[in-house]
Amino acid sequence: MKLRFDDEVETFRAELLAWLAINRPSAAEMAAEPSVSTGHAPPWARRWTRTMFDAGWLVPGWPPERGGRNAGPVESLVYIEELAKARVPRTTNVQGLGIVVPSIIDYGTDAQIRDYAMPILRGEATACLGMSEPNAGSDLASLTTRAVLDGDHWVINGQKVWTSGANYADFCFLFCRTDPHAPKHQGISIIIVPMDTPGVTVRPLPEIIHPHQPDLNEVFLTDVTVPAHHLVGELNNGWAMANGSLAHERAMVWVNAVMGLEESLTTLLAEAPALLDRLTPFERTLAVDQIVQVAIDTQAARCLGYRGFAKFARGAGAPEQALMKLYASEARQRVALVAAEIQGADALAAGGVANDGHHAVDEPQGTWLEQYFHSFANTISAGASEIQRNIIAERILGLPRN
Amino acid sequence: MDFEFTSDQIELRANARAVLEAACPAAVVRAVYEATGDGTALWSRLVQLDWPGLTIPEEHGGMGLGMVELAIVVEELGRAVAPTPVLATLTQLVPLLQAAGSPRLLDEIAAGACTGTLALAEDGGWHHQPMQTTARRDGHAWVLNGVKSHVLDGTTADWLAVVAQGNDGVGAFLVPAAAVVATAVVVMDPTLPIATVTLNDVTVGGDDVLLEPGDPAAALAIERALQTSVTALACSTVASCRRLFEITLDYAKQREQFGRPIGSFQALKHRLADLYLSVERAASLAWFAALTIAEDDDRRAIAVAMAKAAAGECQRLVVRDALQLHGGIGFTWEHDLHFLLKRAKAGDALLGTAAYHRAHLAELLGLAQPA
Ligand SMILES: Cc1cc2nc3c(=O)[nH]c(=O)nc-3n(C[C@H](O)[C@H](O)[C@H](O)COP(=O)(O)OP(=O)(O)OC[C@H]3O[C@@H](n4cnc5c(N)ncnc54)[C@H](O)[C@@H]3O)c2cc1C
Ligand SMILES: Cc1cc2nc3c(=O)[nH]c(=O)nc-3n(C[C@H](O)[C@H](O)[C@H](O)COP(=O)(O)OP(=O)(O)OC[C@H]3O[C@@H](n4cnc5c(N)ncnc54)[C@H](O)[C@@H]3O)c2cc1C
Repeated sequence: MKLRFDDEVETFRAELLAWLAINRPSAAEMAAEPSVSTGHAPPWARRWTRTMFDAGWLVPGWPPERGGRNAGPVESLVYIEELAKARVPRTTNVQGLGIVVPSIIDYGTDAQIRDYAMPILRGEATACLGMSEPNAGSDLASLTTRAVLDGDHWVINGQKVWTSGANYADFCFLFCRTDPHAPKHQGISIIIVPMDTPGVTVRPLPEIIHPHQPDLNEVFLTDVTVPAHHLVGELNNGWAMANGSLAHERAMVWVNAVMGLEESLTTLLAEAPALLDRLTPFERTLAVDQIVQVAIDTQAARCLGYRGFAKFARGAGAPEQALMKLYASEARQRVALVAAEIQGADALAAGGVANDGHHAVDEPQGTWLEQYFHSFANTISAGASEIQRNIIAERILGLPRN
Repeated sequence: MDFEFTSDQIELRANARAVLEAACPAAVVRAVYEATGDGTALWSRLVQLDWPGLTIPEEHGGMGLGMVELAIVVEELGRAVAPTPVLATLTQLVPLLQAAGSPRLLDEIAAGACTGTLALAEDGGWHHQPMQTTARRDGHAWVLNGVKSHVLDGTTADWLAVVAQGNDGVGAFLVPAAAVVATAVVVMDPTLPIATVTLNDVTVGGDDVLLEPGDPAAALAIERALQTSVTALACSTVASCRRLFEITLDYAKQREQFGRPIGSFQALKHRLADLYLSVERAASLAWFAALTIAEDDDRRAIAVAMAKAAAGECQRLVVRDALQLHGGIGFTWEHDLHFLLKRAKAGDALLGTAAYHRAHLAELLGLAQPA
């Protein structure tokens, strides 16, 4: 156990920081052409992705031809931390770079890698993730969007919902039912569907915060036809692949959540003197205790994340990673709530979420109350907190299923 | 940055656990609870294995290990609810001797020839300023007067490090047991025995003056020593909680009601998931605190207070749910569960509760004026 990073890691960090200082997009550049959805990559974002790709800084853990430099897991962690500290988004298309690309690389054909993964890595395309449906949210495996093979092409009918970024994405990584007679987890396949295919209709679903820039969408698919070779991986193996691709995310995604939490705490501590000054002595005591608890949560999230990461980096099972999604998302919810409550009636002022160019990316933005509402994105999506508790209880603790 | 234990540390834990499983089964704890036995044989075994010298430098006959190793050992003691002088001697007295730069007693402690403790609290408070216990200069010596509360192992320790107030600040003094009047408090958890210690004109001189009042380094040295004590108790408490959690989890898998294991009910699943999170949260903070001490990182004061606060918050949840989820059986004296329940509670109550440490954090984070 140790707190300090090894010298090689510090060398890596120094190299990254030097490179970032020269190549990063400026705050002004990002704000001038803001990304308005996780499927939207404005020109600066496309240039930035390409710049990182060419320099091997897009996915440091991968080989140079995939935008990396064969960095180890600790270096990759430092990379994510430093980008977040510099407030430079790694991508505006989080589901594309974070989930779709690794899945295609793991399970796709060479042609799919060339035509769909590489364009995302070079900043030329974006993707959305079509999993949830009106009747398949937490119970994703009950999805019913149907794909039928008809000669050399798939015919797809159904509906997706909550599809982040579908209003701007170039293609969808679509989860479809391909065997309606198999047990529900065994009849699902993944098919790549370009969003401009006839029969694909997108209806944005404005959210409770920043409704003028919707990220969520409904996606309707009516007799959508795509070539048979758009099937990713094995037929009817979609469920296993979904779990595989999400694992990519879990190893690192906690870092962004923790950095967001730390940023919120730093802001709250800076605002605290003025906020506390307006309170009666007893209210103040109560408020201070709430802030202290948030500070403990924040440090704990960092330490728990590091603990899980240390095991992951050794290739060992890391149950802490399953805890992190639950803990960090709920802790972020608490910090925003604590701050908003200390603000009292002032919390009601609608700040309008300032878009500094990449608001769809996971950073605290907007007023405290806006942040609080927004924080539910993370306690609901990618497995709601209740589902996380079920998973922890059943898969980690080994409690019997009902 | 690496939050994984080294292979030596993992081996130390495995050895410690094996030793305690053999030398400190529940029957030993029960005997202490029922006053039909004590921890003497256990301590002899630990002395035989050189445990008392764990953190004492090799030149004094110890193993020269650091804070992380100390944390591992006290965790295993907390897990076993072991009735030993280790907490008082190794995590309260020795750190103070070390912070004061004093070689006094180190050889004897390492050899298992004496034990010790720290006499700090007064009237149940851990942070009296000024201390009510006074140190008055008398020629080259000092004369101590006052009453210390909640002294761990207060009636059995051979030596007490007493923190007392002089005219120019606090100091620390080494006092032999024979010089004080120690009265045992009848406590719920006899594995962490405590006493009230009265000092009537106790004269201390020479090397036994560990930190002179007026020494500008004294207050800081005491604070740093206490950081070790607090972190160790946090580690021990979290480990008791982890064991409680494990036992409760096993019980929930085995106990059947309504024709199925009670652990299959979602109401209990979610509680068990939250207990697990609470234990891992507190453990991570406890290890972080141990690391800041081991590496003398400047976040150590905050990390230590967070560790003890989180340990207290953890036991609050785990003690409640462990007892509740066991139903009637956990409510009985015959069941071993209550040894851990009480040890976990004691771990919060001693050296400052979670609320005490959160209040301290408020000061450290600049949210409140120091009292
Ligand atoms: C901001 C955001 C972005 C999203 N992005 C995408 C995306 O890009 N692509 C995509 O496919 N989907 C996306 N989703 C959808 C997301 O994955 C689902 O919202 C999520 O899986 C929950 O499904 P649901 O909304 O249908 O709620 P439901 O599944 O109906 O759940 C409602 C409530 O019931 C609880 N519940 C459900 N089952 C259980 C159970 N077994 N035990 C206990 N409690 C239970 C849930 O925890 C929740 O509190 C996004 C969602 C949000 C909020
Ligand atoms: C002080 C005391 C006095 C008592 N006096 C008497 C008496 O005079 N006469 C008498 O007949 N009995 C008496 N009892 C027994 C008492 O009624 C039982 O202890 C109680 O019914 C719980 O049963 P159990 O202990 O077997 O726990 P269990 O039923 O095994 O329950 C264990 C845990 O599982 C939980 N659990 C069980 N089923 C579910 C479920 N479906 N969903 C969610 N959680 C569940 C419980 O809430 C509990 O937390 C007494 C108990 C105590 C503690």
